[in-house]
Amino acid sequence: MEPIITLKNVSKEFKVLNRHEGLKGSVKDLFSRDYKIIKAVNDISMEIMPGEICGYLGPNGAGKSTTIKMMTGVLEPTAGEIIVNGRVPYKNRTENAQNIGVVFGQRSQLWWSLPLIESFKLLKDIYQIEDKQYKDMMELYESLVDIKSLYSKPVRQMSLGQRTLSDILAAFLHNPGVVFLDEPTIGLDVSMKSKIRDLIKALNHEKNTTVILTTHDMGDVDALCKRIVIIDKGVMLYDNSIENLKSFFGAYRTMRLRFTKDASELTEEALKKQAEELSANLLQKYPQVKSLSVSVDEDWIDVLLNEDEIPLMKVMHHIQETKRIYDVQLKEISTESVIKKIYDKDIK
Amino acid sequence: MKKKIWKYLSLLRVGVLEEMQFRLGAAVRLFGNIIYLIIIYFLWKAIFDSSPTEVVNGMTFTDTMIYLVLASALFSTMEMYVTWQMGRSVQSGNIVMDLLRPMGYTTYNLFVFSGNTLVSVFVNLIPTMIIVYLITSGGFALSWNLLFFMAAVFMGTILNFFINFFVGIICFYTESIWGINIMKEVVVMLLSGASIPLAFFPETLQRIVYYLPFQAIYNTPLTLLIDNHLSTTERLSMLGIQLFWLVIVGAVSQVFLRVSMKRITVNGG
Repeated sequence: MEPIITLKNVSKEFKVLNRHEGLKGSVKDLFSRDYKIIKAVNDISMEIMPGEICGYLGPNGAGKSTTIKMMTGVLEPTAGEIIVNGRVPYKNRTENAQNIGVVFGQRSQLWWSLPLIESFKLLKDIYQIEDKQYKDMMELYESLVDIKSLYSKPVRQMSLGQRTLSDILAAFLHNPGVVFLDEPTIGLDVSMKSKIRDLIKALNHEKNTTVILTTHDMGDVDALCKRIVIIDKGVMLYDNSIENLKSFFGAYRTMRLRFTKDASELTEEALKKQAEELSANLLQKYPQVKSLSVSVDEDWIDVLLNEDEIPLMKVMHHIQETKRIYDVQLKEISTESVIKKIYDKDIK
Repeated sequence: MKKKIWKYLSLLRVGVLEEMQFRLGAAVRLFGNIIYLIIIYFLWKAIFDSSPTEVVNGMTFTDTMIYLVLASALFSTMEMYVTWQMGRSVQSGNIVMDLLRPMGYTTYNLFVFSGNTLVSVFVNLIPTMIIVYLITSGGFALSWNLLFFMAAVFMGTILNFFINFFVGIICFYTESIWGINIMKEVVVMLLSGASIPLAFFPETLQRIVYYLPFQAIYNTPLTLLIDNHLSTTERLSMLGIQLFWLVIVGAVSQVFLRVSMKRITVNGG
């Protein structure tokens, strides 16, 4: 099978003016030619197959959106080659646009002041969608989500969740080969998130649409992606299946602890303080163990460690000697922690 | 082929729909225009009262008022928020959504904004023309001049779009809108003859203005409508000059867009 998206050694540099401080500095900036080059994306290569849902992850400012903008043709790569649907996106931006769909979580392609159905009708015309295809698509949408009630609502009056939902439907409307979803679940509540995940999954399944998804929510990744690509500071860190990633970190365990009887009584600061104390304590006791880390998750204190390095029971025993443990849970490592590990570059 | 036309007509339709969504806005604008007209009425009355003759620079008070009322109606009809819109979408990064439409950026904007203007023609320009005609009992002729006027308004609208569009591209570089916009508005308002009839300009300035594209936006359609003494050749040559500017400004803005696209960086994300 031919890949639908190919990136070969793609880099993108931005020229940014070095700004100076204060009034004097900003006057100086007017005449300054003091530029610095920022490498937003550095030598990235990947191939994505038709029908895949690929998670594209990385911390803020990693270069995810820049890569997406290059794949959509809005930005031109400084070096390297990009092929999407057999075209070079930035050379054929408008033709490429005909065959892709895009959702940027914080933006909308819908017409702000118009009722939703008008936006859909307009999209039908500008993408030149056949009547039958449009009808089928709308029927599919109506069977998947309760969208009918939103048709007459102007987009500006919608809640963020409703708007995102509408934007996703709009992106799939012309049945594109690839849909780019840039943080589609940002700022949404739990139930809306799951609704949107189900929708993306169903549309991918029904139409075999390739989906490139960037997100900070590991719930999205677990629910949707089989494959993930991780980048940070423009450099690719990981490109493989989630399974593989988890097996790689197979000896990692999370120990969840509670040091107070009623956890709900504890304030967030107190909990954080407990975690810090524990962290300092463990660091002192096991200075060579690199995988050991302490974090706070809701009202639990999580201790993450690699059993190849240090047995979990030994650590628990040590903690018990210094503090009373009221409650404990053991978990395999979550996708979130794995990715955090990669971001932090604790492990190579 | 039929489909292809629909692609653009439906953009025009959206421009119309968008404009009609804001009824209150239209009412407020009407109110603002009335105040503006009252001001220019008294201003020009004072100018004519202080003049020893009834005719100043070849125009009577009534001539001047007809010109200015129609100019202000035409100005608010053709006024496009292209520059604002472009500047704002560059600042917010929303321009990425417009660039991802399956059609050229210029075409997309041209049709949507023309849709806005089309509404204004019906709710603003035509009613004003009827009122002026009734009050002055025939202040302008109802003849072939209307046809020339319509053609000139059509071309003037597109020319105005391209000038706005050109200034909008400058916002790609500065990422600031307010100053540029105000400057553009002042220059266009003055040099197009929308605020003061060109006949009142000093001779040198008049000559310069006739070599600039701005007068083709408002002065050409207005002159074609009001001035009865023009020959058909003169009328056609005025339309020709308008077409010339339309092509030149259109081409220049397209070249500018192409050059600018290469270095555009999209904000946010």
